Amino acid sequence: MASNSPKLTDSVQLPSNLDATKTFYGIGAAGLIASGVGLFLNSEQFFFSYLTSFTFFTSIALASMILLMVHHITKSSWGTVLRRIPESFISKFWIWALFFIPIILGMSTLYTWTDPAYVAEDPIMLGKVPYLNEPFFIIRQLIYFGIWGYLGYKLHKVSVEMDKTNDWGLVVLLRKLSAPGILLFSLTLAFASFDWLMSLDAHWFSTMFPVYLFAMSFQAIFPIMILITFWLHNKGMLKNTITQSHIFDMGAWFFGFTVFYAYIAFSQFLLQYYANIPEETLWFYFRLEGSWAYITYTLLIGRFVIPFVLLLGRDRKHNKTLLKYTSILIIVLHFLEIHWIVMPVLHDVNFAFSWLDITTLVGLGGIFMGLFFSTFKKNNIVPTSHPTLADSLTKQYHQ
Amino acid sequence: MSTTKNNLYGILAEVRNPKELIDVAKLVDKSGYKNYDTFSPFPVHGMDKAMNLNKSKLGWIVLGHGIVGLTGAFAMIYYMMVYDYPLNISGKTLMNIPAWIPVMFELTILLSAFGAVFGMFFLNGLPKFNHPLFNSEQFKKVTDDGFFICIEAEDPQFDAEKVEKLLKNAGAQNIETIHDES
Repeated sequence: MASNSPKLTDSVQLPSNLDATKTFYGIGAAGLIASGVGLFLNSEQFFFSYLTSFTFFTSIALASMILLMVHHITKSSWGTVLRRIPESFISKFWIWALFFIPIILGMSTLYTWTDPAYVAEDPIMLGKVPYLNEPFFIIRQLIYFGIWGYLGYKLHKVSVEMDKTNDWGLVVLLRKLSAPGILLFSLTLAFASFDWLMSLDAHWFSTMFPVYLFAMSFQAIFPIMILITFWLHNKGMLKNTITQSHIFDMGAWFFGFTVFYAYIAFSQFLLQYYANIPEETLWFYFRLEGSWAYITYTLLIGRFVIPFVLLLGRDRKHNKTLLKYTSILIIVLHFLEIHWIVMPVLHDVNFAFSWLDITTLVGLGGIFMGLFFSTFKKNNIVPTSHPTLADSLTKQYHQ
Repeated sequence: MSTTKNNLYGILAEVRNPKELIDVAKLVDKSGYKNYDTFSPFPVHGMDKAMNLNKSKLGWIVLGHGIVGLTGAFAMIYYMMVYDYPLNISGKTLMNIPAWIPVMFELTILLSAFGAVFGMFFLNGLPKFNHPLFNSEQFKKVTDDGFFICIEAEDPQFDAEKVEKLLKNAGAQNIETIHDES
């Protein structure tokens, strides 16, 4: 590096007093044990709650993955100083994959298409058997988690290696990994969304659904990165590294994908609402009748109208107080929306919130954040050797 | 003096690089001048701050147009679909808002885009067929490698001698008086 290029002035090691790995593992274990009790009390509710929570955290990891790959392939510099946050979410995805096992065990409870008697009576379901059958389902899951686990591990490992070896040539490897990675990611995410969520109501289909899940998750990843940044700032970390301009960038992405999410979610709704074909409309019928309708309108207002109005102004996209509360709102609503996708299958008349929703959320959340911190503390929390680091550090905010 | 001042446009000066341009702009701004502008072949980082420029009003113009587009579209469809020619479409209510949203969205975007483009024209004083600065031969360098600052005669505290002295002391070269010959 040239002598006059900007240097990192902050400490890049997470101090041991901020390392929350063990706390989170503890919380996670407690939550999972409590959920385990629920498995015996009400196994049906347990599996649906578990699927909701698992999808919630997985969607965050997957959004991190696509964000990183897009960042690499576009040779971007805006997010170089932020990159370790998404990297830490995905580096141990292969361990996270093990938490899918309960869903495979609970398949016969979750998915009606696993019941041969039900399928045999239903000509529509008979037509779907070549895709929706148990062995193929399990094979597909192995493929998804194999691809995601490998990408997550590799994207993090190469990036960290660059810190140690100062070998900038590794950015080419990251790009070569990202190009096919984006393609594979899109395909696997699409089929995973069909498998996990859409096949809960196996009659229903929407070609927009994968994009919808992606849009939701991508809207939620920025609030999470914003909150982690604020937490670091609050503890006095990276104050000169992640500056107003980076916070503004995240705010702008957040705003942009709020609009994108609304566009996709509405497109999915409008086509089926307008065509009014029973097998399609039924999915929305369950969500617009009974007290589920309140959740639907909460999502419309809370996930689009409120953040849209609040974040529209340019100065507001880096207003810390505003960003903090909007971020919390979106993360809560992201969970609620996945709940809204999954739960009407089980409770088809009225909104029902079970204590198992909380325990599985806390349990899996503890593990997820524990995995995050175990990676985050081990490496520099900012890439210290990267061709675009200087650009990223000197990034200026423009009026 | 008064007769020449009538068609005096301002005083143009050249500096060597973007850094100097920022320094001169800061100095001119501190000296209390309001009507001046800087010219460079590419956007210079930090110039907004150096010239102490206010935030652009364009955003508000776009917002206004967007709101007019949204409410205008709603009013239009309401008039057509509910009041003027009510039509039962596959048993849905007349106030079939989901079906209206694409049109409301499109009109919002259309008017916002118009607001952005024409608002930008308006704020920049475009279209303009000529500009007094084009009378200067040396000013042609501004699209290549020249960095210029011009203090306009319109400025309330404009005094040709003082301005020349200020620019000269700031290290600017090729100081030239520009006349508006139109």
